[in-house]
Amino acid sequence: MAISIRPYTEEFTPAVKQFNRRLVEGGVAEEFLFPENHVSDWLPKAPTATVYQEYYVATEDSTVRGAYILKHQQFALNGQEQTVGFYRLPLSEGIVSKAYTSVGVQMLKHALKIHPMIFAMGMGGFTQPLPLMLKAMGWSMQAVPFFFRVNHPARFAMGMSALRTTPLKRLIMNIGAATGGAWAGLNVLQKLRARARDRSVTVERINQFSGWADKLWQDVFPHYVLIAVRSSEVLNRLYCGEGSHYHCIKVLRRGEVIGWAALYDTQMNGDKYFGNLRLGSVVDCLAKPGDETAVIQACVDFLEERGVDLTVSNQTHSSWCAAFKNAGFIQGPSDFVLASSKKLSEVVGTLEKNFGRIHLTRGDGDGPLRLISGTPAG
Amino acid sequence: MMSPLFERVREIAADILQVPAEQVTPSSSPETIPTWDSVQHLNLVLALEQEFDLQFEPEEIDKMKNIEQILDVLDSKIEAPR
Repeated sequence: MAISIRPYTEEFTPAVKQFNRRLVEGGVAEEFLFPENHVSDWLPKAPTATVYQEYYVATEDSTVRGAYILKHQQFALNGQEQTVGFYRLPLSEGIVSKAYTSVGVQMLKHALKIHPMIFAMGMGGFTQPLPLMLKAMGWSMQAVPFFFRVNHPARFAMGMSALRTTPLKRLIMNIGAATGGAWAGLNVLQKLRARARDRSVTVERINQFSGWADKLWQDVFPHYVLIAVRSSEVLNRLYCGEGSHYHCIKVLRRGEVIGWAALYDTQMNGDKYFGNLRLGSVVDCLAKPGDETAVIQACVDFLEERGVDLTVSNQTHSSWCAAFKNAGFIQGPSDFVLASSKKLSEVVGTLEKNFGRIHLTRGDGDGPLRLISGTPAG
Repeated sequence: MMSPLFERVREIAADILQVPAEQVTPSSSPETIPTWDSVQHLNLVLALEQEFDLQFEPEEIDKMKNIEQILDVLDSKIEAPR
């Protein structure tokens, strides 16, 4: 029976449940199963939405043998607005049955036919099956730098005590040992690195993005070779929807807007990476060129005041990476991989060449899934 | 007598799947060759596209479940004698 790839409609819900059950029986972790509701609970397709997701299923007659998510979003590519796809959560029965080995390739080719300019992000490291497939197809790939800043060294040490094996834990241990003062040493190191605060900078908590965010977007997007459109309409859909737990801030200098950030504050509970820490995340951010550090320092102040133990972020652009370091963040090991299709790389340059000129954050791709997997705090 | 097309495909498949050429037969599939997983399937498809200077559609890849079927799809796309 032939495999056919089509939109996931309600009639396939029972077949997706059976597909998931077969994956679990084959040893796939439940966190990687496909959504069992055909309507996306995050960014569903809507008549006026410019950023939305669609689900596809690979069917053999009425049986689901694979599925993936395609996120559609407007990007500015060298200043020109175009739709770019994000390839997300491809799952194939080939994981558990070699009779379906070709389904993964078919789904990837299907997605590329819809959006030749497409990217993938996250994926758990370069040696996972999906990055290996993308590399084979000539996609350009880079690890997205990971930054962290410890706010409460003692609580951090206790919160991380359950963790023994992660690269982050090892790095922290090494830094603690190297500075001689363990956790206190880490605190000193961060403070030494952090630049002096700009006292003219103020922060406003916001519930909606509006015209000021559109003006900032218009001013800054030409500075990036690749950046997702961050208009107020898009930002409100991403971060200010009903029931949103994001903390969005507007950053000003002497009353003039210089940037914004979308932050998250979550209490982790036995998380694989973050144990029981209260985790702050700089999920997304934008600033006037030159004001990146002031915006990140404002994020640090905001999250510290809320009581987070650790603040983390992933960033690609060189100015933003520098800003995090200026604000006392330390760069840690990253298994968060960005992969760009050949067509996308043709337009914006390969990641090897232009990675530092691209602005992608945890607000892009599939969003800050792992970073917000705990309970919203505060 | 093996066809020239089969010989070319067998050589590529053996190279990609890291098995002796004689182990690749028309009935070889992911179920008979342990190293033939989803990543190697993609590598095989890409290598064949390069070798024969063509592109496979997702529907065609679906029909390529063993070497015999790969030869059938290639036959339909190229005029090489089999």
